[in-house]
Amino acid sequence: MKLPNYNQRLLTIEKRTQRFMLGAVGVMLLVLLMIAAKQDYFSRSTAIYFFTPNAQGLSKGMAVKFVGFKVGSVQEINMEPNATVRVRVSLDDEYVHLIGQDAKARLVKESLVGESVVEIIPGSQQVKQVTQNSVLEFERGQDTSTVVENLAAQLQPILSDIHQITSSGDIQQTLKNLNQASGNFRETVNQFTQVGVNSNKAVTSLNSSLETLDKAVPKLMDKADKTLDNVQSATTDIKKITNDSAGEIPSLVRNANALVQDGQETLGGVKRSWLLNSLFTAPEEQSLPVDGYVAPTQP
Amino acid sequence: MGARSTVSILCSLVLLAACGTVDEVRSARQEQATEFNQRGQRAFQRGEYQAAATLYEQALQIDVAIENENGIAINTLNLARVNQLLGKTALTQRLLDHLLEDKALHYAPAHLAEAAVQKALLRLQENDAAGATLWADKAAAWCESDCRIAGVIDNVRAGIALRANDADKALQLSERALAANRDVPLERANALRLAASARLLKNEPDAALRLLEEALVIDKSLGLPEKIRQDLLLSAQAHEKLGRAEQAAQCRDRAARIAATALK
Repeated sequence: MKLPNYNQRLLTIEKRTQRFMLGAVGVMLLVLLMIAAKQDYFSRSTAIYFFTPNAQGLSKGMAVKFVGFKVGSVQEINMEPNATVRVRVSLDDEYVHLIGQDAKARLVKESLVGESVVEIIPGSQQVKQVTQNSVLEFERGQDTSTVVENLAAQLQPILSDIHQITSSGDIQQTLKNLNQASGNFRETVNQFTQVGVNSNKAVTSLNSSLETLDKAVPKLMDKADKTLDNVQSATTDIKKITNDSAGEIPSLVRNANALVQDGQETLGGVKRSWLLNSLFTAPEEQSLPVDGYVAPTQP
Repeated sequence: MGARSTVSILCSLVLLAACGTVDEVRSARQEQATEFNQRGQRAFQRGEYQAAATLYEQALQIDVAIENENGIAINTLNLARVNQLLGKTALTQRLLDHLLEDKALHYAPAHLAEAAVQKALLRLQENDAAGATLWADKAAAWCESDCRIAGVIDNVRAGIALRANDADKALQLSERALAANRDVPLERANALRLAASARLLKNEPDAALRLLEEALVIDKSLGLPEKIRQDLLLSAQAHEKLGRAEQAAQCRDRAARIAATALK
């Protein structure tokens, strides 16, 4: 009796294992399909190429965009025997008719800190569209470092000119004269200071205060403006709330009053209940203790 | 029926009996009068006599309106006491007379005894020994076996005896008052002071000083400036009789400082 049962259980376990394995294989297949779909294995595409002196900024899987739309991806980056880099790009057949043979591939950054993409610069519509294994011209777009380099290159001669002007004798003399004039002016100020130290101090202090005020007032005005705005906003809110609840306040007060009365009655009831009335003795009117003291008559 | 069932039924009956107790129903007016009275008591304890008088008046007004005899008596007596402290003797007399001469309402003998004692004290204050004796006798007549002011009446009588320079009688009555007021510090201190005065009259300053020291401790614990001052003045007399002029001066100086505060 036991053996058939055992075999039956084994069969059941086997069936369950099979189902589990099938399920696992199904999931794996699904994942593979998704990966394949992602890699455009199911879409018909046209492979084109471009060549670049170096592979800097390029990577496999990089998006290829045409007028802002993704139309393909970088499939392969290989170094050729002549030390150039060959890049294979896969383009969706859907968009191939829009790209002419004279189109260009340009490596650009979508934003200052964004990813690099290969952008297809459309060519002439009259030219024949790209086909399988077509080769496009490649150029690098200007990234931030290139812009800085260009700027530096433009500034270089200007800086050189400035250096030349400032190191000339005329300018040196002018600066010397200016320095002397400044010294004379300082001396005059000192004399003036000696004549009226107190006034000077006051003036200096006033000047300093005015400078401080000068700096502080705009900030204060700004803050005051903001504060007034906030106050006005708060006042408006309060006014609105008050207006909204004006009709409810009297009833609210009545309700609160009723609630307090209810509370007092409940408390009174609890106090009077036989379980607790011994704990709460009802207050009674009390008389002051009789004081048998009489102040003695003064001799 | 098992023992457990019997016990359960008995417990239930006990609980039901407890439910049957009827609590005294008091009107809102009466509760209001009680509240005024209690606030008056608190004001009195703080030494705010004018405020206490106002509150007792409000309580009395309500008690008169609802004809609460007990409340009327209590608040009239309280009002008389406060006015006496405020120096309004005539008003105190009128209040007490109103209570004692009221024919329409019937007050408890204990309340009438208290009113009579206050009348006796007023008479004594005006050096009317005969009048004081008369009211003290009336008070004693109203004071039944379980009267709480028996010790006070003894003190009043001792005071009358002192005014009559009867030291022995004063001592006898004050000692009786001491025994009667064992648990009433206020009257015990009064009795001690009276006994000390009697001792001084009998030229026994040592004994007087001992009594006064005890009275001073009680009066300080009760926070009664006028009585502390009186204890110190009597102590000064005792020190003088003992030839301690310096200590006597110190006691007078202390008494003067208390008098300067004008607090009673």
